[in-house]
Amino acid sequence: MLWVDKYRPKTLDQVIVHQEIAENLKKLVTEQDCPHLLFYGPSGSGKKTLIMALLRQIFGISAEKVKVENRTWKIDAGSRTIDLELTTLSSTNHVELSPSDAGFQDRYIVQEIIKEMAKNRPIDTKGRKGYKVLVLNEVDKLSREAQHSLRRTMEKYSASCRLILCCNSSSKVTEAIRSRCLNVRINAPKEDQIVKVLEFIGKKEGLQLPPGFAARVADKSNRSLRRAILSFETCRVQQYPFSSNQAIPPMDWEEYVSEICSDMMREQSPKRLFQVRGKLYELLINCIPPEIILKKLLSELLKKLDEELKHEVCHWAAYYEHRMRMGQKAIFHLEAFVAKFMSVYKAFLIETFG
Amino acid sequence: MQRDIRKWFMKAHDKGNDNASTNAEKKPPPIEPKTETPVREGQEGSGRRKTSKYFAANKQKQKGDEEVEDLPAKRKAQNDGVQSVKAPPSKKVRKVEDDEEDDDFSVPKKKNGASPSKKLKSSSGRGIAQKPVDVNESDEDDVKNIESPLKSGGRGRGGRGVSGAPSGGRGRGSGRGGFMNFGERKDPPHKGEKEVPEGAPNCLAGLTFVISGTLDSLEREEAEDLIKRHGGRITGSVSKKTSYLLCDEDIEGRKSSKAKELGTPFLTEDGLFDKIRSSKNIKAPAREDSKVPVEKVTSLPKKSPQKADLKTHKDLAAGSPLAKQKNQAIKPSSLTWTEKYRPKVPNEMIGNQSLVTQLHNWLKNWNEQFHDAGNKGKGKKQNDSTAKKAVLLSGPPGIGKTTSANLVSKMLGFQAIEVNASDNRGKADSKIFKGISGSNANCIKELISNEALGFDMDRSKHLKTVLIMDEVDGMSAGDRGGVADLIASIKISKIPIICICNDRYSQKLKSLVNYCLLLSFRKPTKQQMSKRLIQVANAEGLQVNEIALEELAERVNGDMRMALNQLQYMSLSMSVINYDDVRQRLQGSAKDEDISPFTAVDKLFGFSGGKLRMDERIGLSMSDPDLVPLLIQENYINYRPASIGKDDNGMKRMRLIARAAESIADGDIINVQIRRYRQWQLSQAGSLSSCIIPAALLHGSRETLEQGERNFNRFGGWLGKNSTVGKNLRLLEDLHVHLLASRESNLGRDTLRLDYLTVLLKQLTDPPSACCPRALDEDEAVEKVVEFMNVYSINQEDMDTIVELSKFQGHGNPLDGIPSTVKAALTRAYKDENKSRMVRAADLVALPGKKKALKKRVAAILEPSDDGLREENGDALAESEEENSSDTEDTEGTGNGEKLQSELLSLNSKGIQVEVELKSGKEKSKAKKTPTGRGKGGSASTEKKPAGRGRGGSGSSEKPGAKRKEMSSL
Repeated sequence: MLWVDKYRPKTLDQVIVHQEIAENLKKLVTEQDCPHLLFYGPSGSGKKTLIMALLRQIFGISAEKVKVENRTWKIDAGSRTIDLELTTLSSTNHVELSPSDAGFQDRYIVQEIIKEMAKNRPIDTKGRKGYKVLVLNEVDKLSREAQHSLRRTMEKYSASCRLILCCNSSSKVTEAIRSRCLNVRINAPKEDQIVKVLEFIGKKEGLQLPPGFAARVADKSNRSLRRAILSFETCRVQQYPFSSNQAIPPMDWEEYVSEICSDMMREQSPKRLFQVRGKLYELLINCIPPEIILKKLLSELLKKLDEELKHEVCHWAAYYEHRMRMGQKAIFHLEAFVAKFMSVYKAFLIETFG
Repeated sequence: MQRDIRKWFMKAHDKGNDNASTNAEKKPPPIEPKTETPVREGQEGSGRRKTSKYFAANKQKQKGDEEVEDLPAKRKAQNDGVQSVKAPPSKKVRKVEDDEEDDDFSVPKKKNGASPSKKLKSSSGRGIAQKPVDVNESDEDDVKNIESPLKSGGRGRGGRGVSGAPSGGRGRGSGRGGFMNFGERKDPPHKGEKEVPEGAPNCLAGLTFVISGTLDSLEREEAEDLIKRHGGRITGSVSKKTSYLLCDEDIEGRKSSKAKELGTPFLTEDGLFDKIRSSKNIKAPAREDSKVPVEKVTSLPKKSPQKADLKTHKDLAAGSPLAKQKNQAIKPSSLTWTEKYRPKVPNEMIGNQSLVTQLHNWLKNWNEQFHDAGNKGKGKKQNDSTAKKAVLLSGPPGIGKTTSANLVSKMLGFQAIEVNASDNRGKADSKIFKGISGSNANCIKELISNEALGFDMDRSKHLKTVLIMDEVDGMSAGDRGGVADLIASIKISKIPIICICNDRYSQKLKSLVNYCLLLSFRKPTKQQMSKRLIQVANAEGLQVNEIALEELAERVNGDMRMALNQLQYMSLSMSVINYDDVRQRLQGSAKDEDISPFTAVDKLFGFSGGKLRMDERIGLSMSDPDLVPLLIQENYINYRPASIGKDDNGMKRMRLIARAAESIADGDIINVQIRRYRQWQLSQAGSLSSCIIPAALLHGSRETLEQGERNFNRFGGWLGKNSTVGKNLRLLEDLHVHLLASRESNLGRDTLRLDYLTVLLKQLTDPPSACCPRALDEDEAVEKVVEFMNVYSINQEDMDTIVELSKFQGHGNPLDGIPSTVKAALTRAYKDENKSRMVRAADLVALPGKKKALKKRVAAILEPSDDGLREENGDALAESEEENSSDTEDTEGTGNGEKLQSELLSLNSKGIQVEVELKSGKEKSKAKKTPTGRGKGGSASTEKKPAGRGRGGSGSSEKPGAKRKEMSSL
């Protein structure tokens, strides 16, 4: 089993990184009724872990007895019937799902499926809580319509159902939903916190950690605890005992993105644009989400760019990222960004160096 | 010698009783005037001599030989008298043709640099008495020039040998607008700087031009238009008949070398302009002259002996035929021209003569072939591929399929019964004894199963019938089972059946084609068509320029019927029709063609892409609103925009590309609005931003970006890539579900891809690849991997997915370092583990005798894991205890869903019994999850196990049908 799963805190008490939040959550559910919750924060900061620990706190051990279901829902949408396939993860008391998986039909999931689930009040046995919990992942990817449908559901069925929403960025969740939830911001762990966790794992695994090694891993992890633990383990697989200057292998796709980035910096020509398109396709084919590609691409570019261009390039990245969300064919927008960058950068180079 | 032959011809003509060969008939007039003008004759003679000498020196010696051969034959014919003219008509025709060509060829020689009208002017200055003769002569020249290619289609092989080149060249010429030439031709250097002259309408009549290379100020299309407007002809390649090679720079291409070889004069663009301008100066006389040719041209062609007679009359009295035509025209006709001029005999059919003959033969032999064969054993004949009982004529509309079917049957004395789309052609009642009772299909059944209805059989000549099934590809919704029924009919038919369709490759007709003799009609060439159109125009007393009719023929894209309709329509408003009229008229109403996305993109990005009108652009981009944007997106980078002038560092181009890319992205956003929110009113805006703007920014010449790439537009890569993305996402989702099912982790799909995948891959591939260099024990490595796979319930397909998703172009395959022996060992070990593995996901259940266990991702089954997902090989007691506890626990726990409960009930009511097999002993308890090796019941129980839990059942009951199928198949 991977360490990242092995040493995942199962209860709120075991939490190392966000102890304060964990305590608050614990108080929240033990002392009073749990409100709707919105967890947001960067990936690898521990949102999911906290949610699972919270559920365990509420429902006890049965929350961990989950089953995975992949079922097809038939939804009557006016004139036609839509078949939606959705994977859910559920225990007796909670259901977890990612409504954004349905793409632009996510509205129907919210309107029909979630409503259906919310309606059913669990039978209160053995003094368990009289409500069930719906965990919705990636709420920020929900379309606007779906979010609008969601807010009604949140109010109407709040007696029997609590929603726990989980997303990376709260800015993409509508105001209306945010105001109906208790917003819990989960920060990315600080590097020393990551080091602490890594040392904890090292101790449990009985590993010899060279001084500064954990710090380097933490540094490379981009403040994602998950990433840190995973690459820690990768290092372990790669070479043990550790040496203090051991290379920390980057993620395959990140490596590829930085390749693209240096391609773009080196030459700005239609030919290069064409090659970059091929590489972007490659990334998309390997299931890297386009937003992540764009984000990573930007951050790689920013590392190398001149100060005066940074602002403009950031502007364009944001511009195309927004448009990508409105559009459907991600590659068009990625390519438009690359073309724009090349045009801007080329102009800059010519202006500066003639 | 030449003159001798002419005299002989004259004689034959003078005798006036020769109506055998119309071509021969046509010939004499040209010669007559020539003999009367000795000066000209001398010139011509020299010209001819020169050319023949040329021929001798030329490689076309063969031709010369033919000529020589022809001559004795001709002399002999002369001796034999008039009758023999009939005997070798083809040869004669050929000879005539050769003569004509020589004449044609000599024409430019003597008029070097002067337009025909100019020449006419000079000659008219010579004396009034001579003028009519001159006019006549020039007319004849015109006629010949125009007519000679026309004959090529109708004539046999020999003819094609002579004039095939120009017509073939034309075929290529019409494709000139296609993508082949993009990038080869540059923009004219002085584009639009010169004033294009306007001359007398027919000042270039009779001249044939070939355009080569880039002209000084005109685009190729403009030059073509200019020449056509003034009555000239354009061909694609240089031949003997070419009057001028129009070029401003000698690019040493094929055309110019051929022209040099043939001695064709070169003409610059300025020369052409001068020619046209000079004609305008003498506009008044030229007009007169040019008017006359038109009339003559239209009146001259001959389609039947009658016509020829008419023409001889005309030679005597120029006025009379006109009057006659007028009479004809005045005569009110209730018929449309398409009906009026429908061919009456097969020979009148335009083009496809061989197919008509084939049809004729087939129909003629039908009775012998099938009736007699039907009486004896027909099995043998049936296998003969040539002997099909039905025939299928296919081809685009308006080229005479129905007409030829009708004609042929009429000619052979068959009574044609035509059934077309206006009749109901559904399946006939199978119970034929019910009588025909009004159903058309039953009528057909009756018809084909009976022969010669009601006529006594003993008569030798009984009435024969043929069934013509028109528009068989139109058999659709209303004609349920029509095609199948038709096939059945063909099998039992006692009369021949002719089926007609437009699209032979239609899906509907797939089965039918096997039972039919296939005859594919082709579009007639435009020469063939214009010939026929001239006849019609003549008969209607319409004055139409030949070039105009050719243009018409080209515009309608081979559809004779449409051409006639257009002609008739135009005749309502005008009695003289020239090139510009046709052009204007058909500009908008050109026949809709299927335009492929590639062609559309070619046109949009093409050099002249900037000159297209907006509606044309919209039309092009709308020709396929889904594919065209994809093609544009795929290829826009490849174009070097023509709109920017000098671009030394590629900056301008890059900027344009960025703008185009943004516009394409706009198009995508609009497309979302259109599709998702059904805002179809945006579709024009969509095509504007996704196609037209990028094309307008970047149209120019295409260049390749990769080595070895062909310089054609690629097909849009998005479709393929998108489907690969979809496939990979599905695979990833499978893996995701398995990981979730392992309960080891609770991760999102994106997290899985972004963070976990690299580590998973390392875990799966590192130990095996490490066992080589570090001599890690192979078994140990394998064991490690298999253990890891078990923990996360990764199966081998998932492993493939992981590897697949980690492959990047230019990076090595992650599996490269692993020796194949280790891979094999791994597979083996994994397979072995199957027997003892705890199954967590439904699709991991391997059913004996079934390759694919369950539909993928139907349901994932889980074991509770908090109290240990211990040991796959753990002790049996614990296992079975766990089973029990989980069962009991779930019965209380299912409280969460009445729904689930009810589903479970419904599952039961559906007859799927829930039985939990608990067997004693380690092996058996294990068997619950590992059905391998157990019989029928065992696997069934695996199926039911989830049901017993009341949970998996709900998952699987979503697909009761599939489930039951699964059950029944067990």
